[in-house]
Amino acid sequence: MEEDGWRIKHLIFGFFTGAIASYMLLSSPYISNESAPMLMIFNFLFVSLIFPLNGTLKTKLSMLLIGNVTGLVWNNLFSLFAYTVAYYFGEVFNTLYMILSPIANLVWIVSFWSISLTALANSKNTTGV
Amino acid sequence: MITELLEAFFLILTALMTTYLIRHFIFTLTVLKNAQKRKKAVTVENTTYQPTASILIPARNEEQVIGRILQRMTELTYPKDKMQIIVIDDASTDDTGKIAEEYAKNYSYIKVIHRTSKEWGKVKASALNAGLKYAKSEIVLCFDADYYSQADIIEKLVAEFVDPKVGAVQGRVTVLNEPQNIVTRLVALERVGGYRIDQQARDSLGLIPQLGGTAFAIRRKLLESLGGWDESILAEDTDLTFRVYLAGYKVRYVNDAECYEEAVENRRAYWKQRYRWSKGHMQCAFKHSLKVLKSNNLLLKEKIDGLLLLNVYFMPILIWISWIISVLLFFSKPPQWLNALLTTIPLSFYSFVGNFAPFFEVGMGTYLDGRTRACWLIPLLIFMFLYNIVICTKAFTDLLTSKIFGKHTITWDKTVHSGSGNSYITK
Repeated sequence: MEEDGWRIKHLIFGFFTGAIASYMLLSSPYISNESAPMLMIFNFLFVSLIFPLNGTLKTKLSMLLIGNVTGLVWNNLFSLFAYTVAYYFGEVFNTLYMILSPIANLVWIVSFWSISLTALANSKNTTGV
Repeated sequence: MITELLEAFFLILTALMTTYLIRHFIFTLTVLKNAQKRKKAVTVENTTYQPTASILIPARNEEQVIGRILQRMTELTYPKDKMQIIVIDDASTDDTGKIAEEYAKNYSYIKVIHRTSKEWGKVKASALNAGLKYAKSEIVLCFDADYYSQADIIEKLVAEFVDPKVGAVQGRVTVLNEPQNIVTRLVALERVGGYRIDQQARDSLGLIPQLGGTAFAIRRKLLESLGGWDESILAEDTDLTFRVYLAGYKVRYVNDAECYEEAVENRRAYWKQRYRWSKGHMQCAFKHSLKVLKSNNLLLKEKIDGLLLLNVYFMPILIWISWIISVLLFFSKPPQWLNALLTTIPLSFYSFVGNFAPFFEVGMGTYLDGRTRACWLIPLLIFMFLYNIVICTKAFTDLLTSKIFGKHTITWDKTVHSGSGNSYITK
């Protein structure tokens, strides 16, 4: 299945798991309309760019799942915070929340993506890129 | 009516941002895909093509670093009888000229040209043109005074000229003083994204690798036929890249040909350098965009890449405009699609502006270089981008003002080099 270090098997498993995770996240009542596209982008970027790299499939799938759980927790906490503040400050904060939400999401996405890259670079399994 | 206009404008801007993001995603995938393929290794042993080479080193008040580069030039493995080194002492007020003269006394292939304060052209292009008059070799190479090259860099660069269609060749630039502070570390990340992925991918895909103003080689006859460097443009490297393509030649990028630079060390120096780059790049966009579209010497993919490359410094401005429009739209009547499209703005925020390298491109570059701890700084890219928004906006405003009022004064804010970096120099 592997050719030129481009791990087709890992990519197929990755996209499959990413699709399931995205579906579950989108079905969750804790994920707002603003956060959903960002989480889908996370899954897409993570699978397409991290899965061809060194490391075992188990490690990569675990990282992907941890990333999705982090996204769920992050968004849950963030929306709770938003509801609370909106209660006191009204519509203006709702607008601010909608605009800032993608940036806030990207903070954990970029950090998590960077850490994953470091972890995989130190992997002993070197059949990937 | 105004809302509809804002919506249309926002759609156009997000489409533009998405185009850049997709472009860089393709670049990243391309380099990743090719990473394990065996590439033809250009080494001293297998290179038989060795044309004569003139190396230009423009230097103005570079006493801290000129000795380092000249010493390195004497250590190059390229045959010395085929090499000519021309130092252009551009009206220095320090000991740059004296240090260069010392080397010229000891090595016959080193020549020093002293320019007086009256001859001083205030731009690097002027010094390079002065040096070009003395160049007699087939190939002209350029190195900034703060650079430190690999010993076999000339072999690696000139080997590409075996192909007669190749007009110029760019080597890789790596930051020499990376561990110094947070600014140098972030600039190093930018360089990794820009060269390891961006330039490499453009070369692999047959697009337009860009000349970086230093660590590059060009055919002397081609350069002379183009009239040398354009002294009215601040980004003389980008200008030359497009003039080479418009003349029907190609630029190649050689990742193995590494050269180490001293990166700017503080916020103020960063501002000066990036302001110069963005203003110069915008000048090039005004000068070449139409020519690129009309040219018969460029393929369609080269035209598209060329236009995206030329206009990249406008992107930070367009991104903050789209950010403001999105806020206005939220306050009026937000359309359903706005949430989805809004994601492109923060994604663009995590980019480096010079080549618009998004975070995943920078990260993959550090991974392929085996410098994974540098990845930890990637979340900080957002601050550099926000800083670049201000720089590019100022550069654009100044350029526009000078165009409207006809004041075409070119000011070259020279980067001061301390000579403190040494992370790649082994003795």
